[in-house]
Amino acid sequence: MIVAHELVKEFRIPERRPGLAGSLATLFTRRYRVTRAVDRVSFEIPAGSRTAYIGANGAGKSTTIKMLTGIMTPTSGYCRVRGIEPYRHRQRNARSIGVVFGQRSQLWWDLSVPDSFRILRRIYDIPDHVYRRNLARYRELLDIDALGTTPVRQLSLGQRMRAEIAASLLHDPAVVFWDEPTIGLDMVLKEAVRELVNRAHRELGTTVVLTSHDIADIAAICDSALVVDRGRVVHQGSIQDLLRSADRRSVLFDHRDRLAADAVCATVERGLPGVRAVPADGGRVHVDYPAAEFTSRQVLAFLLDHFDLADCYAPEPDLEDVLRQIYGRQRPAAPSGVSAV
Amino acid sequence: MSALRTAARYARLSWFLGGVGLHRLVTYRLDFLLGAGAFLVRVGVQTAVVGLVFRQVPAVGGWSYHEVVFLLGFSLLPRGLDHLFTDQLWELGRKLVQRGEFYRHLVRPVSPLFSLLSERFFHPDGFGELIVGGVLVGWSGSRLGLDPTATQWALAPLLVVCGALIHTAVKLLFSSLSFWTVTSLPAMYAANQVSEFAAYPLDIYHPTLRSLLTWVLPFAFTSYAPCAYLLTGDADLLVWLPAVTAGALALALAVWRRGLSTHETTGS
Repeated sequence: MIVAHELVKEFRIPERRPGLAGSLATLFTRRYRVTRAVDRVSFEIPAGSRTAYIGANGAGKSTTIKMLTGIMTPTSGYCRVRGIEPYRHRQRNARSIGVVFGQRSQLWWDLSVPDSFRILRRIYDIPDHVYRRNLARYRELLDIDALGTTPVRQLSLGQRMRAEIAASLLHDPAVVFWDEPTIGLDMVLKEAVRELVNRAHRELGTTVVLTSHDIADIAAICDSALVVDRGRVVHQGSIQDLLRSADRRSVLFDHRDRLAADAVCATVERGLPGVRAVPADGGRVHVDYPAAEFTSRQVLAFLLDHFDLADCYAPEPDLEDVLRQIYGRQRPAAPSGVSAV
Repeated sequence: MSALRTAARYARLSWFLGGVGLHRLVTYRLDFLLGAGAFLVRVGVQTAVVGLVFRQVPAVGGWSYHEVVFLLGFSLLPRGLDHLFTDQLWELGRKLVQRGEFYRHLVRPVSPLFSLLSERFFHPDGFGELIVGGVLVGWSGSRLGLDPTATQWALAPLLVVCGALIHTAVKLLFSSLSFWTVTSLPAMYAANQVSEFAAYPLDIYHPTLRSLLTWVLPFAFTSYAPCAYLLTGDADLLVWLPAVTAGALALALAVWRRGLSTHETTGS
């Protein structure tokens, strides 16, 4: 469906020397520094999957998405979307993809949203029944009629994003690439947007590639994750696998012992070196342990031995924590990634 | 066959988007009136200056008053025609690349150039130029007692179209420079200023400027050469028009394509 093979994108950045003399010198002798924004990235995204493309700023996310949408050509390697290389057959590719690039509008600036949609209908040759079905859906979920006949340039960010998202799905694309699609949306609209794309996925098998800094978007929409860091893929698989890769787990428990919370925490930390225990709400205790050193069985056994447990549960590792760990793990080397905008 | 179908598709889209453009004129009536008003003042002043000059002298560079007005009016026709369809190039030169907004023309299933231009068909100023140009040409033509031959009548619209294409080519070339320089507004502005010289007889300029206007930025072919032909039947310069138009367009399109591929490489 979507394939990237040894995909590389390098940028030549002119070296600027400081001061007036420096800028004059750069006028005549240009020296370039080559930065690799995407470093031999290979992956396969199956049709009908909803993939979160995850990476810290400068990880090469946007650059990769630009190559997948045909806006940019790779330095070497290739990618294919539904069997075609997007940057070689841009128009053909455009028919089967829908795009949202967070901050940058693709609507007609001084036309109203309904006018923009009418134009898109012609440009994409959208059949009547598809157009009507999608408009009805936008009415129901995005309250698109409320945008009325105001020109796009006068809409608020939230209003405009609703229109952008609707526009990206209007022609029933086989693949949508959404780069930060929920910027400026309130909770209710975020929910609506998630419902919208999930419905498209359910009914049409739409493949979704999403980047977002909103973890809730990822959790609500995506079933698999592709994690890149500094231009390289560091994890690919289901979100479940990603969560399982967390190197710290936690257990929350409640007990009937008449002990001060501090004393309980101290006992746990003494008995299990490397474990962190902190008091949580309602007299419970939150135990955070390194997955490499203890199994959940060991931790539970310890707790059962030492306390009169009233309740105990192990929450899913938090996606945000997992991501923080992944980013953090790669951090030590000097960040050389370039946020390509 | 598929080329025909593509052409038909673009024609349909243009028709539709033209309708959108006209609709916008109605929506932004004030814009239209302001644009047209400012334009009328400008052309009014231009005509008045020409009138003043001719109070002092009977002819300028061998051109009579009415001939100069004819030239002035005719120069507005290709300019206006071009203006109706390619005003979005100014947006490209000004900010599309700089603000990273050009991408939207690369994710639509139409050619990027069409996508860009069709964002705004029928710029109101273009109508002003066509109307005023037509009036000036008609008035001065009748004062001159002009009686065009059948060939001249037949060629006149073609001359306007070729002139418009030359304007388009120059604008396209200079706006495409923004793919390398991020913004090319100053260059576009300069080229536009140069085009203003074409509203007057070339004979009054220094030979350097004359050859610049003929062979470098060939605005002479948008007004001076056609007018010389329509007024006197002199076609010495005009025979070059098809070649110049084709050459200018080819060059501009080549630069546009190079720019586009640079843009795909750098993405900014």
